[in-house]
Amino acid sequence: MTEQDLRQIRGRHHLIRFFDGYAAERMEEIDERKLKRPLVKSHLLELLDRDRCGGHESLEAIFSRRQVNLTPLEDDLFLATDPQMGDIGFLERLRPRVVALYSTFKSEELIPWIHRLVMHSPEIDHVWLSGQTFSVLWDLVARLSRPQRFTKLVFTHESIFDIDDSSVSTAEENEMDFSRVSEDEDIEEIVERRATRFQLVDRIGVIVQKLQKLQDVYSPLYAISQLRFPSPVGRGGHDFYDNGRVTNRSESFLDHRNHLLFVVRIYEQLLKSTEDSAWYSIRESIGTPGQFRKIVGAPLVVKFREPLSAGVFDSLIQTTFQRKRNRLRLWGHPIRLGPTKVHVYGVDRHLWQPLFLEFTDKGCVAIVPDGTCGNTVHRLVTNIQRFLDPGAQAFVGGKPYRQMVEESARKVSYEPRIQ
Amino acid sequence: MSPGFSDLIGDPLFQLNMVLWLAQPLPEAAPITPLFHERGFDVYAIAPLLPIPPDVLLAATDTHLAIQSGVRPDVVLVNLEESKYAFTECKKSAFGPASSTADQARSLLLLAGPRSHEILGLVPGQVSKALLEYMVPENAVQPLGLSLEVLQRDLRERSFPTGDYCVFGISLNENNLSLTVDQVGGTFFNIAPGQNPFMEREPDTDPRPLYFIPFDPDVEQSKDEKTLCKRILFERMHSAILAAVGHANPPCELTLQCHQILNDATFGMYEHWENKDSARNMRRLCRQFVGDLQKSVNSISTDAMTFRSPQGWQLSLPDQARHERVIEVLTRFCSESLELGLDPKPELFDDL
Repeated sequence: MTEQDLRQIRGRHHLIRFFDGYAAERMEEIDERKLKRPLVKSHLLELLDRDRCGGHESLEAIFSRRQVNLTPLEDDLFLATDPQMGDIGFLERLRPRVVALYSTFKSEELIPWIHRLVMHSPEIDHVWLSGQTFSVLWDLVARLSRPQRFTKLVFTHESIFDIDDSSVSTAEENEMDFSRVSEDEDIEEIVERRATRFQLVDRIGVIVQKLQKLQDVYSPLYAISQLRFPSPVGRGGHDFYDNGRVTNRSESFLDHRNHLLFVVRIYEQLLKSTEDSAWYSIRESIGTPGQFRKIVGAPLVVKFREPLSAGVFDSLIQTTFQRKRNRLRLWGHPIRLGPTKVHVYGVDRHLWQPLFLEFTDKGCVAIVPDGTCGNTVHRLVTNIQRFLDPGAQAFVGGKPYRQMVEESARKVSYEPRIQ
Repeated sequence: MSPGFSDLIGDPLFQLNMVLWLAQPLPEAAPITPLFHERGFDVYAIAPLLPIPPDVLLAATDTHLAIQSGVRPDVVLVNLEESKYAFTECKKSAFGPASSTADQARSLLLLAGPRSHEILGLVPGQVSKALLEYMVPENAVQPLGLSLEVLQRDLRERSFPTGDYCVFGISLNENNLSLTVDQVGGTFFNIAPGQNPFMEREPDTDPRPLYFIPFDPDVEQSKDEKTLCKRILFERMHSAILAAVGHANPPCELTLQCHQILNDATFGMYEHWENKDSARNMRRLCRQFVGDLQKSVNSISTDAMTFRSPQGWQLSLPDQARHERVIEVLTRFCSESLELGLDPKPELFDDL
């Protein structure tokens, strides 16, 4: 697709028709094993605001600070242009707090561009889908699709803190995150380190029968990092990645967008319930305004399946809090309370929000102050599963995180043809 | 850095934070078993100032009984379903019936009496039971119990409407922290009398939880403990400042104000600090910390961060490069390197 093509698109209806045709062409090329142009990829991004998550500052202002020009086409739909790279694609606000960037750029160009955009902006983050969120989405896939349909799940766990040589910088987040790029169709992973990555393609009915048993014997299979929603209107499906990237491998862009909306609604519910439960603040006691203060909120508790070894614990603390570009994107000066216990009254380094953490070899407890976006919690859980313990269990207060995702999913109806 | 752990169980801030954790919603997998929350008790109020009714004050004056006219228990716990209220006071050690602390204890006994609903501003049906709960190191349970018995008997003999009390002992052994519950407290909270472990311990490890309330200038603490709590307060101020700077969009001037920093660092408790001397002391600490931070920031440029009264500190962020440089300096700054043992001296801007 040329820039000229993109500039001819004037609105949402036109955009959907255009990408529908584009998707159908790509499916034909895939059938002939001759993919001539990149697939349509959507990147789900969460907008954050200092005073209020998903605040109402204009999208143009937020993105222009990152040198991305947004040309309005219609309500909540823009053409996104980078001064160096030209027209990147279309940006659509799907929900108050979540936008999607639709692009046909090649992965090796688009992913680093998105990565730079997010890394340099405390107002924009990926939509983080943790292994536990994927686990609930997988249940939905199993309910929505016939058992004979094929699907794909990818499980990714990289024990980046379990290394022999502490000088190895796997615990740092590189400017371009190759491990995520490599999940796409275009590049084979070349980085060597202790890691688990499974790709499972099978009939849904078979996976439903086997997955739990496999997870019981091998915990990295809890770390689902990619899941395909089979398209209900044709062949193929929509590949959701843990950092909010979604590749359209179906012949319908409209169906692709419907799936984005479905998952985004669940995510938004989850954000809201996390924030409602986990925000800590001092508030007035009900019924006695102006007089009594009480603490309201609930901590995030993560319990590791197996205690970390002393070496892994030390590596976790050192590489996280001594390196600027650490994977967990945290900042703080750890207060060492024992061989395997530290307290950190620190900051979520990406969103610049305070976060108080207790790390031990058995788990993590986090106090999330009032106003902190729920996104911080989901990124922490996602990254703990991915980099530390794939079988870790998370709770917000007394409630299992998984249950919160299930409840969020129940509140969202699946409406395949809604625009 | 950490002081002796056996002293920790007598530290009022440790005790206060522990009471708050015991009333939090936590899963079974959590490092703390929330003994109070599991029995339906939540935090109703932190350090509320509760005035004793005037007729009771008058009666006390007439009978030459020393009580406090207003009393501030550390925490009030509530079980809303059963309309039970527990006025919780943390103490380092026992005290005698003739000590000055006994004045406070008499008032607390009156709080927990049949007029507790009135003192809390509630209607009679909203309080079915009330109890005064002391939290002390286990070795102080018995002597404190004897003192409270004397005080309660004395009040009742003079026909004052007092409530019941219990004394919970915190103990620490090699394996865990426990709460020793007496019969009265056990019945009220529905916790088995005797030792109730609530937190497992690791060898050579400080058992403290994350602190909700990091610092209180009014409580008496050991030097080491005060130093550590001061560091926690500084870390929290540091994170509040870094969060504010991280969110700034240059070009801009960012204003940092003492009261905002302190509120951010204490979950908003600072603005409710009614003891003016304590609030002033907190502001001094804030100025001490931000002053040191300012010196580091001004290594970039002498006017990068300035103090102007009454606005506060002005941080100049003319462009992206300066913004990144300031963040770099702020993240490298560490409060551990400061003279945490020294108390700041009174200054010209104390009341700002």
